[in-house]
Amino acid sequence: MRERLPGRRRGAGGTEVGVVPPETAPLGDLGTILDPDVTTDKPWLVIVWNDPINLMSFVTYVLQKLFGYSKEKATALMLDVHHKGRAVVSSGTRERAELDVFRLHEHGLWATMEQST
Amino acid sequence: MSSPIRRRRDGRYVVRLDPNARIVLADLARQLPEAIAARDPMVRRLFPPAYPSAELAGAEHDYRELVDTALVNHHTDALQTLVATAQADTLSEPEFQAWMDAVGSLRLVLGTRLDVHEDMEDPDPEDPRSAEYGLFVFLGELQYLMVEVLADDLPDEGRPEGAL
Repeated sequence: MRERLPGRRRGAGGTEVGVVPPETAPLGDLGTILDPDVTTDKPWLVIVWNDPINLMSFVTYVLQKLFGYSKEKATALMLDVHHKGRAVVSSGTRERAELDVFRLHEHGLWATMEQST
Repeated sequence: MSSPIRRRRDGRYVVRLDPNARIVLADLARQLPEAIAARDPMVRRLFPPAYPSAELAGAEHDYRELVDTALVNHHTDALQTLVATAQADTLSEPEFQAWMDAVGSLRLVLGTRLDVHEDMEDPDPEDPRSAEYGLFVFLGELQYLMVEVLADDLPDEGRPEGAL
C-alpha cells in the first residue's frame, strides 16, 4: 500500500522553491491520478452486512472468536448489523482487512471492505 | 431436557442425533463439494465479494486469485469431515468445528435457494419447497445448539487482540 507522497509544498511563500506558486496542486494529489484504487494511508474498514440466514447467536459467536471481542461488544456489533443493516467490525491496513474479510467468509458471514473516507 | 449436544470434560463433543438425521446430514454434505468444485451458481453465497464496488473490480479480481483456493478447500474439507463423522457419537474439537462450518454452509446454500427472509412463515405443507424448508429449519436448530456449546467455551470478557 502506498505511503502518502512526501514533500508537499512548504509554506505559503514557497521559501524553499520560490518559483512554485502556492496554488500549485499539492503533490499528494498525484496519488489520485496515479493509483485511483489506493490513494492514502486511511484505514480500511471491514463491514459485516445483515443477511436473513445466519443466526444472531452465530454472528455474535464468530465476532467473539475471530476478534477476541467481549460478549457485550460482539452482541452490540451483531445488533448493529441486525438493525442498521451493517456494522464496521474491524479496521486497519489493507492486508489486515483482507485477512479479516477472508476469515469472516470462512465462517459464512457476508463481509466486505472499503477505505475510510 | 438437557441439550443433545455438549462438551465433555475430556474435551470431546457429544452429539446425540436421530439416525435419520445423521443420514440426511451426510447426504446433504456429500452433494455440496461437487457443486463447489463446479462453481455451481447455487453455492455463490459461500463466496461473497471482498470489494463490492465496480471501481475496485481489479482489487476484487486480485483478492479472488489470492484466496479462492483456500476458501474452496476450507468449505470442502469441513463438508468431507461431516460426511466422514456423521455416524460418530463423539467428536474431537476440530471435527466439531468442521461440523459447524459444514452445517453453516448447508444453511447458506439452502436458505439462498429458498430465498428465506426474516419473519418468514413456514411454507404450507403442500408447498413443493416445504420439505427443503424443513431441512433448513433442522439445520438451524442444530447450528443453534452447537453455537451455544462453543460460545460457552469463550470468555465473556474477550481476550487481547492477537491471542488466537
